[in-house]
Amino acid sequence: MLPTPEVALAPILPILIVLAGALASTILGFHLPRRNLTIINLVLVVLSGISMGTLWNSGARSFNGGLQADNAALLLGLIILVGTFMTLLVSLDTAWRARVSFPELDAMLMYAVTGCLLIAFSGDLIVMLIGLEIMSLAGYVLATLQDSRRSEESGLKYFLLGSVGSAILIYGMALVYGATGSFNYAEIALRVGTVSNLAPANVGILVGGALLLLAGFAFKVALAPFHQWTPDVYSGAPTSISLFLSTVVKVAAFAGMLRVFGGALADAPGWSSTLQVLTAATLIIGNMAALLQTNFKRLLAYSAVAHTGFLAMALLGTPQMGGAALGYYLLIYTLTTAAALAIVAALQRSEAGMEISDLRGLYYRHPAYAVALAVCLASLAGLPPFAGFFGKYLAFQAAFQNGYMWLSVLAALTSVAALVYYLRPAMLMFMPDRTPAREYAHGQRPPTTFTVGLGVAGVILLGILPNLWYGWVANPAIWQQLAGQ
Amino acid sequence: MIHLMIFLPVLGSLLLMATPRRWREEVAGFIAALTLGLGLLIWRAGGTELFSIPWIDALGVTYSVQLDGVSLALALVTAFMSFIACLYTARRIPNPGTMLALILGMETGLLGIFAARDLILFYVFFEDALIPALLMLAIYGKDRRMKALVKFAAYTLFGSLLMLVSFIGIKYLGGSPTFALADLRANPVQGAMQTWLYIGFLLAMAVKLPLWPLHAWLPDFHEQNHESGIPDVMGTLYKVGGYGIFQFGITLFPDASLELRPILMGLAAFTALYAAWIAFHQTDWKRLLAYAGLSHMGFVALGVFSLNETAVIGAMYLLAFQNLYTGALFLSVGMLQERIGSLDTRVGGVMTQAGALGGLTMALWFASIAVPGMAGFIGEFSILLGAYQISPWLTFIAGITTIAAAAYALTAFQTTFWQARPLGGVRVADLQHVEWLVLGLPLAVAIFFGIYSAPALNLMQPAVKAVLSALGGQ
Repeated sequence: MLPTPEVALAPILPILIVLAGALASTILGFHLPRRNLTIINLVLVVLSGISMGTLWNSGARSFNGGLQADNAALLLGLIILVGTFMTLLVSLDTAWRARVSFPELDAMLMYAVTGCLLIAFSGDLIVMLIGLEIMSLAGYVLATLQDSRRSEESGLKYFLLGSVGSAILIYGMALVYGATGSFNYAEIALRVGTVSNLAPANVGILVGGALLLLAGFAFKVALAPFHQWTPDVYSGAPTSISLFLSTVVKVAAFAGMLRVFGGALADAPGWSSTLQVLTAATLIIGNMAALLQTNFKRLLAYSAVAHTGFLAMALLGTPQMGGAALGYYLLIYTLTTAAALAIVAALQRSEAGMEISDLRGLYYRHPAYAVALAVCLASLAGLPPFAGFFGKYLAFQAAFQNGYMWLSVLAALTSVAALVYYLRPAMLMFMPDRTPAREYAHGQRPPTTFTVGLGVAGVILLGILPNLWYGWVANPAIWQQLAGQ
Repeated sequence: MIHLMIFLPVLGSLLLMATPRRWREEVAGFIAALTLGLGLLIWRAGGTELFSIPWIDALGVTYSVQLDGVSLALALVTAFMSFIACLYTARRIPNPGTMLALILGMETGLLGIFAARDLILFYVFFEDALIPALLMLAIYGKDRRMKALVKFAAYTLFGSLLMLVSFIGIKYLGGSPTFALADLRANPVQGAMQTWLYIGFLLAMAVKLPLWPLHAWLPDFHEQNHESGIPDVMGTLYKVGGYGIFQFGITLFPDASLELRPILMGLAAFTALYAAWIAFHQTDWKRLLAYAGLSHMGFVALGVFSLNETAVIGAMYLLAFQNLYTGALFLSVGMLQERIGSLDTRVGGVMTQAGALGGLTMALWFASIAVPGMAGFIGEFSILLGAYQISPWLTFIAGITTIAAAAYALTAFQTTFWQARPLGGVRVADLQHVEWLVLGLPLAVAIFFGIYSAPALNLMQPAVKAVLSALGGQ
C-alpha cells in the first residue's frame, strides 16, 4: 500500500502567497488598473518574505521531503524576493513607456517567481523541474510581451534554446533516475555517496546523467558555450524584464544547481571537472565579449554572463564554503544588477538601452543617478569597499581552497578585462560634456529612485559590514544538508 | 586617535558635500591640518600600539591597525602633502569642492594603507585609494585621459587581483586563523609555494612601485592629469609599492625574497637607469617628472630588494621624502603652466621675471637629484652604501643614475628658466601669497631632514630592524 503523503501547509505558504498574487493579477486584471495590481503584488512579496522569516530554523518539509523549507531554501528564496521586489518597483515607472503595461505582465512575473521559489524549495528532481518549467514558460512570455520585432525575436530565441535546455535537463534527470532509482535528493545523495551500491554500469549512467543535467543548467544560467541566447534576450527584452531575467531567474537557476550539484550529486564523479572547464570558458568569453560592446544594456548583458562564471566558481567549492559564497554573491549580484538596470530603464530613450558614449557627462545632468551607477559598476568590477569585492573574494576563496588554484588565477586575470569595461562607462559619466543630453528627460521617478537607493545602500552597507548578511549565510550547517536529511 | 586620523579625511570629504560652497575650502583645509596635527601627536607619543578587532569573523578578516616607525613616517608625509595639496587647490581650481573631496577621500585610503596590519584590510585601502585617483583623472584630466585611465586601472587591477589570490593562498596554505600580519607570520608558508605566492604579491607591488616592465601607465597618468599638478601630488603619494614589499613582502616571504634577490635587484637597477635615460629626452615637464619619479623608485626598489639594513632604511627614507619634493615639483610645474600656458621644457627666460619661482624650483630639483644637505641625498647614499655590500656591479649601474639625473634635471631647468626670453612672450608673474607656502614648506622640510636626519632615522631604524629579523641570520 502506498504511504499517505505528508502535506504540511506551512513550508509551502511563501510559495502560495506569491501564487495568490499571480492569480489575483490574472483575475482582478479585468477590474483594476495595473498600478494597483503591482502594489498588491508588492505587498504579497513582502508577506511571503515574512512567512519565510517565520520558517527560519524550523526545517519544515512537506510531501515526504519533496519540498523542504530548510534554511538554504529560505536564504535563496529571500534573494529571489528581493529581486522581484525591485523588478516590480521599476515596472511601476517604466512598464508604461515600454508598452508592456498590462495586468498580464504582473501575472507572468508572479508565476515566474512561483516557479523560482519552487526550485529553491525543491526536495526532489520532479519539483525542481516543475518549478523550472513554470519559471521558464513565464519567462518566454515575458520576453515576448512587448509589441516589437526585437522583443519577439529575443522571446523566440529564448523559447527555442530554453526548450532545448529543458529537454537535455529532463533527459539527464531520467538517466540519474535510472542510475539511482530515485528522484529524491536525499535518496540520490545516499546512493551516490556509497558508490558500492551502484553497479559499475550504473556509474556510467550516473555520470552521463550528471553531465546532461549540467548542460541543461548551463543553458539556464548561461554558462559558456551555452550562453549564446543571453545577450540577445537580455538586450532585446524590455529593460525591466531584462532586470528580472538577469537577476531573479538566474538566482533561481543557481539555487537549482546548488541543490543538485551541491547536494544530490555532490559525490558523483565527473561533473566538477567539466564544470571547471565551462567556468573557465565563461570567464574568458563573457569578459572578452563584454569588452567589445558599445551598447550599455548589451554590456550589462555580457557582464551577467561573466558573473555567471564567478558564481559557478563558488559551486566548485565544498558545499559549505561554496554555498556560503553563493548565498552572499547572489544577493549582492541581485542588488547591483537590479540597481544598474533600473537606472538604464529610467534614463534610456528607447528600449534598446543607451550607447556607452551617451553616458558622457551624466554626472552633471543627473548627479545622484550617476554616482549610484558608478557605485554599481565599481561593485560589479569588485572594487572595495563595495560589496561586490567580498562576493568575488568569497568565490575565489571557495575555488582556491578546493584545489582549483589555476582557475582562481584565471578569474583574477579576466577580472582585469572586467574592470576595463566597467570603468569606461563609469568614468565617462564624470567627464564634462557640453553636447545636449541624450537621456529621457522625465526619468527620475520615486519608485525607481527608491529601487536604486535600496540597491546602492545595500551594496555599500554590505561592503563595509559584510557580516550583516554573511553572518547568516556563513553557517556551514545550512549548506551541509542541501539534499535534505 | 589612530582611527580618527585614518577616517577623519573621508568624513571630511563627506562633510564637504553638505557644506555651503563658500566655506568648502576652509573646511577642507581645516580637516587636512587637523589630520596632520593628529599625526604629529601620534609621533610625539612614539607611535601607537597594535589595535586589532575582528571585522568579518567568518572569514578571519580583522581590523588591525598600527602606526609606528616607517608607516608613521610615511603617514606623516602623506598628511603633510595632502594639506599642501588642499592649500593649492583652493587657490588654483575654480569651484574646488569636488577636487578637495577627492583629495581627502584619497588621503584616507593612503593613511589606511600605511596603518593596515591585516592583508585584506591592506587590500581594501589599497583599492580605495585608486577610486579617487581615477575620478580626479576622469573629471579634471586632459583630452586623451580615457586611454591613460584604462591603462592605469588595468595595470593596477591586474596586479591587485593576483595579489588577492596570493593572500588567500598565504592564509590557506599557511593555516593561519586570520589575515592579521602577526598571525600570518606565526604560520608561514614554506617551500616553492612561497615563491609563487611572492610573485603574485610582487606583481601588484611592482605595478605600484612602479618597476620596469610594469611602469607603462605612469607617464600617461601624469601627462593626462590636470595641469595644476594637484592630482599628480596625490599620484606620487600612491607609489606605495616599496612600502608594501618592505612591510608585507619581506616579513611574509623571507626565503622567496632572498631567493629572488639578484633578479629583483637587477630589475630595480635597470629601472632606475632606464627611466633616467628616458627622462632626459622628454620635452613635457609632467612626463619628465614622471620618469624622474620612476627613476627614484628604481632606487627605492634596489634598496628594499637588497635586504640590507642600511639600504632598506635609505629606501624608506627616500620613499618618504621623494613624495615631498617630487610632489612640490609637480605643483611648481602647475604654477609654471598657469603663467605661460604650456608644459614645454623649452620656454626660456622665465627666471628674468619670476625669480622666486625659478629659485624655489631649482632648490627642489637639487633635493630631487640628491645634492648633499637635502633629504634625497641621505636616502640615495644609504641605498648605494647598503646595496654595494650585496651586489657592487648592480649598485654601480644604479649609481650612474645620479649623474644622469643631474643631466636631465639641469638641462630641462636651463632651457625653461634661463636662456633667452622669446620675443612677444607674456609677462610672467612671480609667486603670490599662498604659493610661497606651497613650495616653501616642502622645501624647508626637505632641507631640515637633509641636515638633521636623526628624528626620522630614529623613527625608522627599529622598525626596519624588526622587519629584517624575519630573514633570520641575514
